[in-house]
Amino acid sequence: MNRSSSLSLWRERLFGTPFTGFVSVVLFVLIAWIAIPLIRWAVIDATWVGSTRADCVPGGACWVFIRARFGQFMYGLYPVDQRWRVDIAGIAFVLGIASVILAPQRLKLKLGLVMLVILPPLGIWLLSGGFGLRYVETREWGGLTLTLFISIYSSLIAIPLGILFALGRQSELRIIRLISVIFIEFWRGVPIIAVIFLASLLLPLILPGGIGIDRLARAVIGLGFVIAAYMAEAVRGGLQALPRGQREAATALGLNYWKATGLIVLPQALRISLPAMTNEFIALIKNTTLVLVVSILDLLGIAQASLADPNWVGMNMEAYAFSGAIYWLICFALSRWSRSLEKRRRL
Amino acid sequence: MNVLSFINDKRVRDWFYQIALILLLVGLTVFFVRNASENMVKAGIASGFDFLWRTSGIEVPFVLTGYTQSDDIFALFWVGVANTMLVTVIAIVLATLLGFAIGIARLSSHWLLSTIAGAYIEFVRNIPLLFFVLFWYFGVIAALPQPRQSIGLFGVAFLNNRGITIPLPDAPGNFRWAALAILVSWVCYWLASAWARKRKERTGQDAPLLVIGVGLILVVPALAIAWASLATRWDIPVLRGFNYRGGFVVIPEFVALLAALVTYTAGFIAEIVRGGIESVAKGQSEAASALGLRPGRILSLVVIPQALRVMTPPLTNQYLNVLKNSSFGAAIAYPDVVSLFMGSALNNTGQAIEIIAMTLAVYLVIGLAVSALMNWYNARIALVTR
Repeated sequence: MNRSSSLSLWRERLFGTPFTGFVSVVLFVLIAWIAIPLIRWAVIDATWVGSTRADCVPGGACWVFIRARFGQFMYGLYPVDQRWRVDIAGIAFVLGIASVILAPQRLKLKLGLVMLVILPPLGIWLLSGGFGLRYVETREWGGLTLTLFISIYSSLIAIPLGILFALGRQSELRIIRLISVIFIEFWRGVPIIAVIFLASLLLPLILPGGIGIDRLARAVIGLGFVIAAYMAEAVRGGLQALPRGQREAATALGLNYWKATGLIVLPQALRISLPAMTNEFIALIKNTTLVLVVSILDLLGIAQASLADPNWVGMNMEAYAFSGAIYWLICFALSRWSRSLEKRRRL
Repeated sequence: MNVLSFINDKRVRDWFYQIALILLLVGLTVFFVRNASENMVKAGIASGFDFLWRTSGIEVPFVLTGYTQSDDIFALFWVGVANTMLVTVIAIVLATLLGFAIGIARLSSHWLLSTIAGAYIEFVRNIPLLFFVLFWYFGVIAALPQPRQSIGLFGVAFLNNRGITIPLPDAPGNFRWAALAILVSWVCYWLASAWARKRKERTGQDAPLLVIGVGLILVVPALAIAWASLATRWDIPVLRGFNYRGGFVVIPEFVALLAALVTYTAGFIAEIVRGGIESVAKGQSEAASALGLRPGRILSLVVIPQALRVMTPPLTNQYLNVLKNSSFGAAIAYPDVVSLFMGSALNNTGQAIEIIAMTLAVYLVIGLAVSALMNWYNARIALVTR
């Protein structure tokens, strides 16, 4: 398309009729009214270099604050000389996933299972220590590290449990179906914030006296159970979309329930449910912020806690803008990926 | 019967698995309950609901029920429930209005309008709700002026960093009559529309339902409220010293939570509205226009009824989400049922199990009631295939 025709296309789009033109002008004024002060604050009048509050020019954003606090936003209160462990855990995780994605088709499943067995314990070992590494208490974990840790480990509980309850809800056996429905509807019916309170108060109460259970583990277990119910509904969508003939044919070939489920039904159903499950994972990342109420400091919690620093008074907007942007980038990327999966399936 | 064929019988196996599962669950429950009772004896907590009648002693900054500190803990529970319901209902109404507006803007043929609506939806949906709650509370409302420099709204309500101070009627009497009038006029509309539907089925004639509807649903209530407002003496807040006296103070926690719930939920409702309207096949409105229906009637008789059918289930889910999400107020100490009862009352009494059970029951009971209502509505508007 040449330049003049694209220009006339835009003129047609924005000023095609008098009414369209009027709406465009109103919207342009509205955009300018919001965007100009915002850009002035965030870019033009902002302070980018410096080291203390005194370097900041009033009226604009003070990104010096984010620079000074960057380590905390990423790692929380994790000891500075041990932060390489978090980095290695992150790199191991990314490499693990990349190796599964890049592996030849016939090795994918085996490699994936191996990674599933190796990576989670490795991550916990690297982060918490022991076996030659210094112990770092979960109290010191935080920031983006903790947001990702909680999201990933909660979904390690939520996905298998969700698949089980989705299968249970579709089962022919009446009692199993009833138990699954009660489990799913109960956890879907209560607020997540209440579940986090519940987990942190009840888990120590219902376990035998001597067993102490880590504060962070309680939050992960609580979130894992709620998200399991939502995952179950996502998986159910896939199970229901699969033609009945698939299971019937597998049974006719002589496969028993678990073989038919594992070899025929689930591989197809999970592929259909993957976009919905990704959406639940996005919701999980967003809901991870709620651990704030039991004073665990994830990314948003660290941002909130940084507002109390007497050396950096009045940095509310900077802290919110930075943490909000990170959440947005992660969730937006995941939601785009989920949408592209869905489109590919429809084609 | 021989043993092998007995254990290979599908029915026998099915029962065996189910009974094993039940035994496992019962065993786990017994294990947990025994541990809990042992732990509670050790901690010196008596179980039971007697604590509900103890004096609460908890001060609440935002009360609708006439509760005071000297009332019992059960009264405190109802304060929390009322506050949860208040913010939920108002947020649902406002989020629906904003969500429909944005959803329709998203479908607009105006490129810029639809792009802005799309940007809003993508922005809001990919950021945690708690972020919005904290942002509105610590970012926006904390930045509002002191009471002395309040932003006045028509000279009767005042917005400042301690919330919104609104006028309060001295006596509610006139408003009771107005509420009765509104209720009567809505019932009349319902009867009139039922009569009009029957007449149309019999004779094919339309009744001027739109005029009657606007009159009974909007004009009569507006007149009733206007009369009640003018006939009542108002307690208008006035600045005395450092703060306003008189009127009713809507606390900043409420304003922040409401703003966060509305802006966040509207993004989700907008997507539902867009999906619902797009789901009505284009042929439907084309066929309707081929039959000679005017554009307004195409929308009201063909497109909207079919879009509503698609929109109802996800919209119900969103409304229930608003109910559950109202508990995010606990993060900024809005006195809802979670922060008052599960927070303050639990801290004071230590009755964890009872209090958690009661709090969860509130959400489950309301959720089940709303689901039942929506299922009934859904069945009523569902497609009847013959």
